[in-house]
Amino acid sequence: MSSAAVLAAEFQAPSFEYSLLSPLLVIFGVAITGVLVEAFAPRGSRYLLQAVLAVLGVVGALVATVIVGLNLVSRGGGTAHGSIAAEGAIAVDGPSIFIWGTVLVLSLVSVLLFAERRLEGGVLSFAGQAAALPGTEAEREASTRGLEHTEVFPLMMFAVGGMMLFPASNDLLTMFVALEVLSLPLYLLCGLARRRRLLSQEAALKYFMLGAFSSGFFIYGIALVYGYAGSMNFAAISAAVSGRAGGEGLLLGGIALLAVGMMFKVGAAPFHAWTPDVYQGAPTAVTAFMAACTKVAAFGALLRLFYVAFGGARWDWTPMVWVIAILTMVVGSVLALSQTDVKRMLAYSSIAHAGFLLTGFVGAQQVADVGIGEITSLQAVLFYLVTYGFTTVAAFAVVTVVRDAGGEATHLSRWSGLGKESPVVAGVFAVLLLGMAGIPLTSGFTGKWAVFTTALAGGAWPLVVTAVLFSVVAAFFYVRVIVLMYFSDPVGEGPTVATPSILTTIVIAVGFAATLALGVVPGPVLDLAAAAGEFIR
Amino acid sequence: MTVVEVLFLLLGLVAAGSALLVVTTRTMVHAALWLVVTLGAVAGIFLLLAAEFVAWVQILIYVGAVVVLLLFALMLTKAPTGPQPDLDARRALPAVAVAGLVLAVLGTTVVAGFHGVELDLDGAVVGSAQTTGATIFQQWVLPFEVLSVLLLAALVGAIVLSRGTGRRGGE
Repeated sequence: MSSAAVLAAEFQAPSFEYSLLSPLLVIFGVAITGVLVEAFAPRGSRYLLQAVLAVLGVVGALVATVIVGLNLVSRGGGTAHGSIAAEGAIAVDGPSIFIWGTVLVLSLVSVLLFAERRLEGGVLSFAGQAAALPGTEAEREASTRGLEHTEVFPLMMFAVGGMMLFPASNDLLTMFVALEVLSLPLYLLCGLARRRRLLSQEAALKYFMLGAFSSGFFIYGIALVYGYAGSMNFAAISAAVSGRAGGEGLLLGGIALLAVGMMFKVGAAPFHAWTPDVYQGAPTAVTAFMAACTKVAAFGALLRLFYVAFGGARWDWTPMVWVIAILTMVVGSVLALSQTDVKRMLAYSSIAHAGFLLTGFVGAQQVADVGIGEITSLQAVLFYLVTYGFTTVAAFAVVTVVRDAGGEATHLSRWSGLGKESPVVAGVFAVLLLGMAGIPLTSGFTGKWAVFTTALAGGAWPLVVTAVLFSVVAAFFYVRVIVLMYFSDPVGEGPTVATPSILTTIVIAVGFAATLALGVVPGPVLDLAAAAGEFIR
Repeated sequence: MTVVEVLFLLLGLVAAGSALLVVTTRTMVHAALWLVVTLGAVAGIFLLLAAEFVAWVQILIYVGAVVVLLLFALMLTKAPTGPQPDLDARRALPAVAVAGLVLAVLGTTVVAGFHGVELDLDGAVVGSAQTTGATIFQQWVLPFEVLSVLLLAALVGAIVLSRGTGRRGGE
């Protein structure tokens, strides 16, 4: 940038397109209001205030997203529509709106899961007092006094805000800031479990350390790309990449380091090591929220970064995506076979799903490149994210209701004979698992069909063959749990299914309905994903 | 050699020498204090490059806040303040290798990005507070504002994790 030009002009106040940014502003506004409630409202009324505020805030943001989405303007004549807002920091376009909608709906469901109080006997399933050391007098006192941390709601709203900003950011700096805004509250939330607190704190620390490390990789990648392109802006980087005026090493190094940071967030191998520990240790409501929403946001950002900024270097990064996708599917499916804890098994399953999603990543990029009735990579991945998100949230919600004296009974051996104990819960869980496995008439099948066909259209058939092969391996461990629930005898007293309040019931019902509906009539959501068009630049 | 070049050379030597002392000294507190010298010398280099704002930020944040934080951490954790013979980097060689690699990568980045760029010292305003301010509040205003949200979230989290709700805190 020419410095003289900046000086010559008087300072111009930045222009903000407040209406375009309204969904983000609503969420951040709710988060800050939540902090104020925490500071001024009496302790007894905080839970209700915070929960209602969070639900209303997410619904409000959802309404704002729909309004913004309906009023997007066409850009560049093609299927892309939207505008660059906030001095070039944010791209409010079709994919952004779709991801915002997805993240907000999944967050709405997760808020209900956060607000569940009945399962723990009238308190939230978060630590009563995080500062009290596990196993001390202070902890018991906090427990008897019925203390609870209602700060989890504003923290979650901060994370949601980051998740919305992350896939919509239009330059590397905004993307980095958004990455931190979405990660930091999650690190904190992971350490706040009410039961098995040491495991939870270990998970939080592990997530924080590895997350900070991956952020370091990300920012080093930003520095290298900036050195190469001379700008942080995606459009400028894209122009520099297409021009290719030397400095290849810098660009490739930058892409690789940025990919490390991104692949960590989506939980792709070999950067997946944190996933099982964190998913297991974190409070299950947080795990559900994190597994669904973080993956949606991170994949959105990954697609925008690689399609918009590095689209011209596609032949350089495609082999890397191939290797990572295959490795991720292998690690996720094979290691899931040996898991004995249901939360760890679902964690490995989410790793395998990241691999399937990466398969769709290498398909056709432009709407113009595909024939009528075919979909682009972006649209396929967006659809898959919706199917995956609903199924995952509901599966973790089911995990919260299967309990024994020590809280949630996450060990798989405790799940044997669940079909006799509670046919409804076992049946719902079986459908969700079949959905994850990708059995026809469930959402998992249509999602996998979408990403595999787009990868085939992109000529990546060896990748698709591998993916289908590992879908079969993955199906094995899902079916194994179903067999365990229906055809094994209960061990000891057997599992018990606690009756949750209406909140968790809604979550499970919504996830279950979405899993079936998206499998039988995927059309509307697919059309919506197709209407998202492509990224603007 | 011009005065600026001589100053640059001297400051560079001071920065490199004190940085070596940071990692070789056997006393933790001395290491922290040598870090002050290193960061101060780097701030001087920024000044020579006409980046006055970055130079003062370097002094305020790094010398002022980060090193003080380090010293406080040493004090509060009751780390021994005297010389410790066992305070030796056992993995000196790998550390040197990593440092060398970082130097190579950063050097390549700078050379590739700014090769042949001459700084016009009379008209240079690249790093002035005015330019930086204008950039932050125009081009980067959204990330800047969102960073304050991040700090608020961190603050809330820190309070949640550390503050006990004693009898005093209850209503």
